[in-house]
Amino acid sequence: MRWAGSGTARKGFTVATEHSTASRSGFLRLGFAGAGTLSLGAVLASGAPRAEAASPSPALDVQVLNYALLLEELQVAFYAAALDRGKLRGDLRDFARVVVEHEREHVGLLRGALGAKARKVPRFSFGAAVSNPRRFAATALELEDLGVAAYNGQAANLTRDALIAAARIVSVDARHAAWIRAIENRPPSPQATDPAKTRRKVLAEVDRTGFVR
Amino acid sequence: MDTYFEQFDRDGALRETEAALPAETRRDLLLGALAGGTALALFASEPASAATKGDVAILNYALVLEYLQSSFYTEAERRKALRTATAKQTARVLGSVERAHVAALEQALGSAAVKRPFFDFRGTTENEDAFIRTGVAFEDLGAAAYKGQAHRIQSKALLQAAISIHSVEARHAAWIRYLAGTTPASSAFDEPKTMAQVNRLVASTGFIVRRPTTRSRRRPRFTG
Repeated sequence: MRWAGSGTARKGFTVATEHSTASRSGFLRLGFAGAGTLSLGAVLASGAPRAEAASPSPALDVQVLNYALLLEELQVAFYAAALDRGKLRGDLRDFARVVVEHEREHVGLLRGALGAKARKVPRFSFGAAVSNPRRFAATALELEDLGVAAYNGQAANLTRDALIAAARIVSVDARHAAWIRAIENRPPSPQATDPAKTRRKVLAEVDRTGFVR
Repeated sequence: MDTYFEQFDRDGALRETEAALPAETRRDLLLGALAGGTALALFASEPASAATKGDVAILNYALVLEYLQSSFYTEAERRKALRTATAKQTARVLGSVERAHVAALEQALGSAAVKRPFFDFRGTTENEDAFIRTGVAFEDLGAAAYKGQAHRIQSKALLQAAISIHSVEARHAAWIRYLAGTTPASSAFDEPKTMAQVNRLVASTGFIVRRPTTRSRRRPRFTG
């Protein structure tokens, strides 16, 4: 079943990760917000405690790390698709080649931590964001900034060990964000301190991209 | 007594907080460290008066690092010895952010804030290559220092503030690395540094000095 929304993403390049090609139950069919299908927030929140209100616990770690996993898988798929399209040159290509490997390692760490508790991730479709270098740069900047805000928003929800692991990841995502900002001749950070966004807000922004099928 | 403790802890605030951190050696705290800053609003909800002594000590550690960074960029900008656009842009952009971090930490700590030490950057604010190399080292160190403390912070509000500075330090590191033509992110994971590691590195630079004096016959060097 395809989602019922509209947008360029439907005609775009599709990345099927090894985790996304497995048979999937209804909750994995994600769509654009407001398109009549489940939103990411509804999917991740199903049966889960409200991350923003709960105290750190191993159970909450699983929820937060699955949320982080979704964002990292989105990034891996995005960079892999852009490299596969072969339209990137120079600095942008160098950036994508390095960053995709980092994001794969982030996924590996998260999957290792989650083990059998790792949830399946949806398929993604990026459209012109992976075929047009200008769109690619703008999207990479947005996704990396969003990733940093997402991790920062969960710091207080994590147990000690999970926080230590997340801190090793988030600063590398912050480096990616500043790297693409430097390529784009933008200041390294939008503010003197990085915003911390709630899961609800982050997932709403992801939904709005239309990248999740 | 450690070399610059008397100058560094002029109001005794650090002496007061060190007892709260049994896991760290006395020397570690005396040596001080790098720091970061955060938006004023982040700290506003939790004044230092409500924070634990351990949290105050961590924030002061961060404040010294931010003093180090902000004085470095500010001095570089004021001395006008840097010529390339890259170096001037770095001093201007990063300096403004680090000054904001200092202001935020000072406000959060209130009367518990340590005073700004005296610095002697030993020519690194006037030489292009040395300036960039030092800036890269400071920003990488700042990110590693915050990363090493995040899990030790008790207050959720202060953790939130510190973590939101932490990623900005990493952004700075990557940004200045790109401008300097070196790889912005050399590994998929950034590793933390303990207070002891950071303090050793800072001490090894010789950038933090005693209060300048003219009692010796030598002319005092510039101190930020």
